[in-house]
Amino acid sequence: MADSTQSEFVTLVSCDGFEFIIPRSAACISGTIRRMLDPASKFSESLSGRCVLENLSGVVLEKVCEYFMYNEKHKDQANVPDMEIPAELCLELLMAADYLDT
Amino acid sequence: MDNEVPLPPPRRIRHRSPSRLSPAGSVASSFRRSRRLSRFDDRSSQPSSDPALFSSDDIPASGLENYHAPVAGAGRKRRYRGTWWGEQVSDPKRKRADFKEKRHVDSGVWMGSDESIAESSLPSEDASNWGEDLLKTVLDPRAPSKVSNAPLLVKPSDIQSASMQPRPIILQGPVESEEHKYVKAVINDCLEKGDDSVDLGNINMRSIPPGLLRPLHHLTKLPSLHEAPVSENAYSSLQPFLRIYLSNNSLNTLYTSEIFDLKDLKVLSLRNNKLTRIPEAIRKLTALQVLNVSVNRLDELPWDLLWLLQQGELKHFTAHPNPFPSIDESGLVDWHCQFDKPNDAKDEDEVEEDTPETTPIPKFRDYEGVPPDDAWTPIHVATGPVSRLDMEGRPLEWNPSLNAVSTTYPSSRAPSLREVSLRAISKLPGIEQLTDLELMEFPALVIPLISLARQARQEGAQHCSICQREFIVPRAKWTEWWDCTPHENGMKRPRVSGEQLRPLPFKRVSCSWACVPGVQSVE
Repeated sequence: MADSTQSEFVTLVSCDGFEFIIPRSAACISGTIRRMLDPASKFSESLSGRCVLENLSGVVLEKVCEYFMYNEKHKDQANVPDMEIPAELCLELLMAADYLDT
Repeated sequence: MDNEVPLPPPRRIRHRSPSRLSPAGSVASSFRRSRRLSRFDDRSSQPSSDPALFSSDDIPASGLENYHAPVAGAGRKRRYRGTWWGEQVSDPKRKRADFKEKRHVDSGVWMGSDESIAESSLPSEDASNWGEDLLKTVLDPRAPSKVSNAPLLVKPSDIQSASMQPRPIILQGPVESEEHKYVKAVINDCLEKGDDSVDLGNINMRSIPPGLLRPLHHLTKLPSLHEAPVSENAYSSLQPFLRIYLSNNSLNTLYTSEIFDLKDLKVLSLRNNKLTRIPEAIRKLTALQVLNVSVNRLDELPWDLLWLLQQGELKHFTAHPNPFPSIDESGLVDWHCQFDKPNDAKDEDEVEEDTPETTPIPKFRDYEGVPPDDAWTPIHVATGPVSRLDMEGRPLEWNPSLNAVSTTYPSSRAPSLREVSLRAISKLPGIEQLTDLELMEFPALVIPLISLARQARQEGAQHCSICQREFIVPRAKWTEWWDCTPHENGMKRPRVSGEQLRPLPFKRVSCSWACVPGVQSVE
């Protein structure tokens, strides 16, 4: 248990059961997930390193994870390339962004 | 009309061109609002070219051969028409009678002389009316949606008979105001004569509808024919030197005007209007040489205007009088110039650290002899406080310890997920025609954001004034005061030695906190 809080990777679970394992630093780009995983919060997520995001479907969460990695990769870069978003997902992603505070 | 009928398309997804429409459609369907879906469809299925109109007689494969044998094709036809507007047909028998009646007056092709309301939906070829057509399409949400809904094949009179009651003006757009008629006449006159000076002043115009100025793209100057002997100015350039005078009107917005799409515009006068803001899109007028925005309600100028002064062709810029705030009203200010101090003690430091109690009068440095280069160029006088905005573009509380803020919100140049998805939304087809009412159907949380995306689509995306990237949600804004005196007098004379500076406020916006000058990105 104590180990999992130190673990480098966290698991994000969508409402339809898809699991995405991504680096903790990338997941913490989202304010919501950062607060979930904050060890001081003592949320079960922070203990298990596993966040179940009931509002997000697998398709959206996959794109969100792609964004996390994109943000992580270009964090310190001066000239950030654009990230492609399929048009049918953009509204749901906007809602997800609102929920995830990112 | 290459679909050889009579296979009716499935009901809900009628005549969508899949490439353009599926995004909007599926987005909307993701929110399970079929009503909006149909709205999206209607709008974006409008053809880019003027629609040709055919009667429904052509629809069955039998075509003209079938002309005298209505019974044979009737079954098919009725089925076909049923699919076009199936929901609205209440009494097929009556309809069929109508149809027969129409048949013998119908040649299959709609001519202008036909006495029917189809006329009003026929796009007129000449430039004098196509602005009006566009106006109809844009401003009347119901009529054009009908037309495009049953595209090109169905007689509007058939639509009529199918709908509940006849509405003779259904296809007519809103009544065009006198001013707009006048403007159109002036523009047509200019186009005809090849006159590149378009005087639209003194007509009390409140807004410029979209499409009105677009014909000016095609303005061609005519060679002047003089009697012999040919004088020298007969050989003047035929490149149009486009000038638009919109002075003494009541314009309060320029967003819909498409005026900034006239790339060749050289002179623009907006004097004596009611403008409160100059859109950033003015940057697109790279050929602009003279700009007059005096006697308006501006309290700031877009940064892009300074860019035009520095990098573009803009040589004569008239900004005063306007209700610009004075520097000392704007709080914390970093000075970047020298002051005219009463004791004549010249301060050589570039930045004056502490703001003197009495507001200093900035002045140009003393020089002798030939004016240096910077006597001509705009001078950065002062910088106002930077106000940071959160991920939704709302101002954050002013925090004196900015470093504390920047650690909780790391200032990276990577866009937020909101920003990324808004950029995608702003590229959706039809987003610029979203009305406020339709906007209210979105979840309340995202309404302000989507309206930002819509605005970005309407006006053109804003550019970060530091890194030049396009963005939707500004993350920081501040005001810089620049003195542009030489441009204000038309580059006739440079600043004289020790001249008092009269800085103008230019608003800068940036796409990320990392772009704010003086803030290093946090590791």
